Amino acid sequence: MSNELYACVHAEEFPAQALLRLRTDLAAQPVVVLEGRPPLETVCSLNRAARLKGAALGMTRLEAESMDGLIRLPRSGETEAAARAVLLECAAHFSPRIEQVDQGTACACVLDIAGTERLFGPPATLAERLRAALIATGLRVSVAVSENLHTARLKAATTRGITVIAPGGEATALSKIPLTALQLPEDHALTFTLWGIRTFAELSALPEADLVARIGRQAVEWRELARGTRPHTFQPIEDEFALREFYAFDTPVEEVDSLLFMGARMIDCLAMRAATHAMAIASLTVQMQLEGGQAQERTIRPALATIDRKFLLKLLQLEMGAHPPQAAVLTLTLSAQAGQSSKVQLGLFSPQMPEPSRLDVTIARLKAIAGEDRVGSPVLEDTHRPGSFRMESFSIAQTAGAYTRGASEQDEEGPVKPRMALRRIRPPAPVRVQLRELKPVSFFDREQSYKIAAAYGPWRTSGCWWSTEAWNTEEWDVLAEANGGAAVACLLVRDGGNGQWQLEAFYD
Amino acid sequence: MPTASALRIQIEHSLERRFPAALTPVPRTIRETAATGIPAVDGLLDGGLPVGAISEIVGPASSGRTSLALAFVARRTREERVCAWIDANDGFDSESAAANGVALHRLLWVRCKSPGATAKPWARLDQAMRATDLLLQAGGFAALVLDLGATAPEHACRIPLATWFRFRQGADRTRSSLLVVAQKALAQSSAAVVLECAPLNVQAGNGTVLSGCKYQVSTGRIRSSTTTLPIDGKRKPPAVAWPAAGMGQREARA
Repeated sequence: MSNELYACVHAEEFPAQALLRLRTDLAAQPVVVLEGRPPLETVCSLNRAARLKGAALGMTRLEAESMDGLIRLPRSGETEAAARAVLLECAAHFSPRIEQVDQGTACACVLDIAGTERLFGPPATLAERLRAALIATGLRVSVAVSENLHTARLKAATTRGITVIAPGGEATALSKIPLTALQLPEDHALTFTLWGIRTFAELSALPEADLVARIGRQAVEWRELARGTRPHTFQPIEDEFALREFYAFDTPVEEVDSLLFMGARMIDCLAMRAATHAMAIASLTVQMQLEGGQAQERTIRPALATIDRKFLLKLLQLEMGAHPPQAAVLTLTLSAQAGQSSKVQLGLFSPQMPEPSRLDVTIARLKAIAGEDRVGSPVLEDTHRPGSFRMESFSIAQTAGAYTRGASEQDEEGPVKPRMALRRIRPPAPVRVQLRELKPVSFFDREQSYKIAAAYGPWRTSGCWWSTEAWNTEEWDVLAEANGGAAVACLLVRDGGNGQWQLEAFYD
Repeated sequence: MPTASALRIQIEHSLERRFPAALTPVPRTIRETAATGIPAVDGLLDGGLPVGAISEIVGPASSGRTSLALAFVARRTREERVCAWIDANDGFDSESAAANGVALHRLLWVRCKSPGATAKPWARLDQAMRATDLLLQAGGFAALVLDLGATAPEHACRIPLATWFRFRQGADRTRSSLLVVAQKALAQSSAAVVLECAPLNVQAGNGTVLSGCKYQVSTGRIRSSTTTLPIDGKRKPPAVAWPAAGMGQREARA
């Protein structure tokens, strides 16, 4: 017994259905949908009332206009895409594995419903619920359930309502379907007509070897389709999961509070949509179209992916407070990157750490106080240039596990020897230095003069001579005594290029 | 003849309305400490600096305040904890921190700045105070260093006492050690420990290299100390000396 089971949803005349779905006032009216370049438009889709009135596919615009009471609508790709999205979203409530099998102007999809009996009951019940759900969205569909995908597809396309085909009954169910459902090439269709073969039952009754000898290998496929035995490799569509919200303001907005009001609602929607996919928001990008044609974009990256709306809104508020829009805002777009929901394993004996989400808000606030690039972790640069470093963003995830040796293990190796630390002066203070036998003996730093008791040096360093960031310095460690009697140890630096002396740092 | 204990109970009973526990000392709270990583200083402090309290490291320039604070932060970061350095004067040297064993990726450095070329430090002090407040409220930091070492005492002393009291409450609540590096003691009664630093002497290797320095640390205040100072007029606070080596690369090049 096969463990496959498919349900095919078929919405015929989809261009007309998509337009009439939102125009309930036209539901009972004869409507045709025209496509093509004016004035050579032709009817590509029509509803049942129009068909009863005598309209047909392929009619020209003039022919359609000559029929009284016939409403003509232009085909809309956007409306069809929206209706198709609704259909797929509705179908996704019954199965995550969906393959799209559109035919002509019909919209059709096949759901892999194997193993859903416990959730939705027997296939007939599922088909009823599926059709009811789609009718509620304004779409008129037929549903067929079969163990063979092509059988379900062909049956749904050729019958109305719900059809459930029992295992082994595929050939019987398809027997009365006309051969035109296979959409055969014109010459072969003519051949079958000459032979008197008009239905699937008549085609499946033909001997395979003789059929192949006269038509070719493709006849095997048609015969298998007619018998309901054609195999198929299911190719589910990848659901494009994009978290994006857009809003165009009626009038340009200048106040950040008004933007945040809309932003809060958008974050709510994004978080809810992410949560329905068991995901969280890993990053949030704010794009603003400004008056005057400019655009502004900022990205918020919380330390851990989250769906905490208040926390995301707080980060957005701090980000917009730090970087307010330079002009009135015309449109606001929030797009989010989905990530796995964060899971933190806590331990009884693990050291205390800041709560990641709270730390994000704290760091954002610190950046608002001190400056964007003045809060973070220092990282030493791979260079011999004295005092070079760069700032990197501080995060708990970065600290975890990066340094695995604990204090006790370090102590076994021996404690780190305390060293004299430098307290830098940024920017370095220019000083006047008196030299004796090429050694500094005193210096004056605009406030007071220092008498140098001992000077150790010079320590010459240079580098990057090939670039504009070249340096060439001479360092002196000096022990000096101020006029007031205070003794200090400091670092004096002479620039090798211009010979200027600077007080770089104090040893402390 | 009543025994001493019976006599004590009798006296306490008669005085209990006016002086509860008149002769029985109030039980002391043993505060958790964290070692600084410098044995001499840890010995002086009976284990280290207090956790969840304000400690002040005061002294003039080149008195070893920064080296002592870095040693403490290095010890805490090696225990896989995170620390923060609130730098009111933007004087933190990351090379020195790394040389002292600080795991820099576990250190949050807040560099306060002046909005203009003004010589007045109020903007930087305000930023430092607000940053400290935020970090204490956030919690989770094992140590916070408020570096006011290059701020003139006449400016730093204008920080209201209410601020220090709030910091003390915040440190106590979040179990963070708040180290204040300054030239003079600022927190007054809010500080649990005040360490006074001073330079002792300089070591010169071969007469050409500044190979180290010896600093002196004395206790200006220890709130939880169990030892009582003598009242014979010689109230010299206990002090220890500790050495700090030079920056390493100088000796290597020499």
